Amino acid sequence: MTLADVHVILAQARIYLELWNSAWPAGLTMLAIGSAFAVVLLVASEKLKVKVDPKVEQIHEALPQIDCGACGFAGCTSYAKAVAEKPDLIGKCAPGGTETAAKIAGILNLQVSDSGPAQRPIIHCRAHTEDKTYYGQYQGILTCTAANALPTVQACKFGCLGYSDCVSACKFDALHIIDGLAIVDYEKCTGCTACSKACPRNLIEMVPFRHENMMTVACSNKETGKATRSMCKVGCIACGLCAKQTDLFSVEDNSARLDYQKYQPNEQTETAFNKCPTYVIVYRGPSAPEPRQPKQKPPAKTASA
Amino acid sequence: MDTLNILLMGFISIVLINNLVFTKFLGICPYLGVSGRIDMAFGMGMAVTFVVTLSGTLTWLIDHLILIGTPLEVTRYVCFILVIAGAVQLVEMYVRKFFPSLYESFGIFLPLITTNCAILGLCLFINLWEIDNLLEAVVLSFGAGIGFTMAICIMAGIRENLNLADVPECLKGAPITLITAGLLTLAFMGFAGMIR
Repeated sequence: MTLADVHVILAQARIYLELWNSAWPAGLTMLAIGSAFAVVLLVASEKLKVKVDPKVEQIHEALPQIDCGACGFAGCTSYAKAVAEKPDLIGKCAPGGTETAAKIAGILNLQVSDSGPAQRPIIHCRAHTEDKTYYGQYQGILTCTAANALPTVQACKFGCLGYSDCVSACKFDALHIIDGLAIVDYEKCTGCTACSKACPRNLIEMVPFRHENMMTVACSNKETGKATRSMCKVGCIACGLCAKQTDLFSVEDNSARLDYQKYQPNEQTETAFNKCPTYVIVYRGPSAPEPRQPKQKPPAKTASA
Repeated sequence: MDTLNILLMGFISIVLINNLVFTKFLGICPYLGVSGRIDMAFGMGMAVTFVVTLSGTLTWLIDHLILIGTPLEVTRYVCFILVIAGAVQLVEMYVRKFFPSLYESFGIFLPLITTNCAILGLCLFINLWEIDNLLEAVVLSFGAGIGFTMAICIMAGIRENLNLADVPECLKGAPITLITAGLLTLAFMGFAGMIR
């Protein structure tokens, strides 16, 4: 090691010492000011303590804390407060489901009766763009609410408009418009009911999903069979074939209905499913098969009309 | 008499002529965010006034007693933020205790006073303008708070009336609010000619 090397090392050491000498008073000052404030805040937090009901805090922790508003309150905080005061509001939390309800009941020393299977949305329309009939091209504001104000936006006055009102209402990315039709992603859906409130045509119904895949009547057209057939390839023509198989189906206002509260899959419902001439009856659920496509004209008498 | 004159001029200057919101464009976030209703706006103004008075005074003391003249001046920003954060915590506890409904309506904007640039801005302006009198610093800080309260209350009053006005569809919501803010600022620019 030469003398020059030693000089370089000494010079570097001096720089570091200088840096350290100016750094520690700064740190010390920060520490002093910080601790002075800490003491003041400590005293203040004791003096100004707000007593919150420990139950409210516990309930709030049990909730999913996504502030979706499905319970009808502004957010999880206000629901926690309300449910602590009025225990009969238990079970309003759709995303939390029965698990959360049981937890809240445990905190409040109550027992909940089983509220049944989770509610999930089904869409009463299955017509994609190619199935529908249009009179012209809609060029207005691209929301369903705006489009719905125009009677001629599409031929069917009951079908899905496909302008994403439900998609933007969904906080969980569980709804998507695929070829002009809203499709629910049941893996992501929490059952918060936001979409069913958003649809201006009231196409989205919350039904108890008693089974993994539910049979649904995916049409709500109330016009006569002939009129329906003229405007939609997959609309319910109210032929009544399904109602003849089982009591679970009925035909009201020119549209088939399924009693979702009582629905049990059996041979008759399967026959109804197979016999439906326009394939309006479809399965919906996390592992539901793709709906059948109307390729050939069904051998119903309206085919010639 | 001379001191009083200086204090009064300082107060009027910071409220009207050098208003932090209208001429320095500081504190715009709560100015637009909490000015929907006039009672909330007033509450926000009061909270900011308290924080800015307390932190303006304390930072002047810290600046002059500890920092100025030492190499520690570079830590000014950090020290000031420390003071402001402490003061905001104090306000938050106080509001939560005594005005629970106000506390809920403020939501995120109350802790956000910590990062309100109007407050740090004022503390730094007091240093920049070389105010070397504690009383003057106190009056200026208080005046800045009053100026902010005035600005946000005027805005809230206008916006309450705007709700009833027939605003063109494309300007509804944020655009008309920003236009209003711009016009208000223009109006307050007129005060700049008051002092020669």
